[in-house]
Amino acid sequence: MKKILVVDDAKVVRMVVSQILKRNGYQVIGEASNGREAFEKYKALKPDAVTMDITMPEVDGIQGLKDIIAYDNQAKVIMISALDQRDALAEAIRHGAADYVVKPFEDDRMISALHEIFGDSTSVES
Amino acid sequence: MNIDINHLKVFEVMTRLSIDRASRALSKTLKTGARIALSNIYITDLSGATEKMNEDAREMAGVMVNFHGNVSCKLLFMLPIEGTLILTDLFLRQPIGTANQFDEASESAIQEVGNIIAAHICNALVSNFDATLVPLPPIVHNDFAGVLFSSLLMEQGMSEESFLLIDTSFKILKTELDCYLFLIPELNSFKKLIDSLGVCV
Repeated sequence: MKKILVVDDAKVVRMVVSQILKRNGYQVIGEASNGREAFEKYKALKPDAVTMDITMPEVDGIQGLKDIIAYDNQAKVIMISALDQRDALAEAIRHGAADYVVKPFEDDRMISALHEIFGDSTSVES
Repeated sequence: MNIDINHLKVFEVMTRLSIDRASRALSKTLKTGARIALSNIYITDLSGATEKMNEDAREMAGVMVNFHGNVSCKLLFMLPIEGTLILTDLFLRQPIGTANQFDEASESAIQEVGNIIAAHICNALVSNFDATLVPLPPIVHNDFAGVLFSSLLMEQGMSEESFLLIDTSFKILKTELDCYLFLIPELNSFKKLIDSLGVCV
């Protein structure tokens, strides 16, 4: 079972994302509420992938992404943000994000993104 | 305050397009209709605006979002405490009435609503009007309506000046939930943006 670290400053979003992941056969190995906490938990928990919000207090998701990629250039980080802007997308991809999902999203969009990065052809539960 | 009627007209169009987009995003998030409509744009000051809010004696939760970019704006979203419980239930796809106390989950529900509305307002202004604009992390407080409103604005250093207040009517459909959503634009930056679009003669 693939292990996922869920990062968002809003508890309800972490709860919803975790529910979707669990329903689709993933293990939520930890949660973090900003980029710094995400980096610390990445090192400690060694997840297979991270879902990362961008707009967060203290250390944002782009910095969290940069820190994780600098530590592990094979890290799989999916950005999940309400920012649907070319510059935000370009910055995330430039710093090594594996995918970018815009909030609000359908459950299968996030699961498809995970299937894609794991090279998994399993069908998505809708 | 330096904005003429033509600028104001363009600004009103910008506002309508932005809140339409935010409204659609919120409806999709909550899986129920959220209807945000522009109701009034007027110049006021802190005491004038607070006086109106003091008429509502309910305890509220409020979220303030600042925007950063070549235009500047603030967003204030407020709703009664019991409304945050409904939002929590809608977010978590659970029957309304399940959440029964204002806790970390309900605080984060209003925080996320503020984030989604703010981000989609930014998205509309960026894609339609070439603004560069992103929201900063939301700040959540709870108190009585008037106190919350004035303290959030005072924290933003708005105790002295008059400002343009965009008042909306905000309803979450299939519930009795009426919310307050105010936008407070920094007018000089918006005037520059409107001028750069070349739509005012």
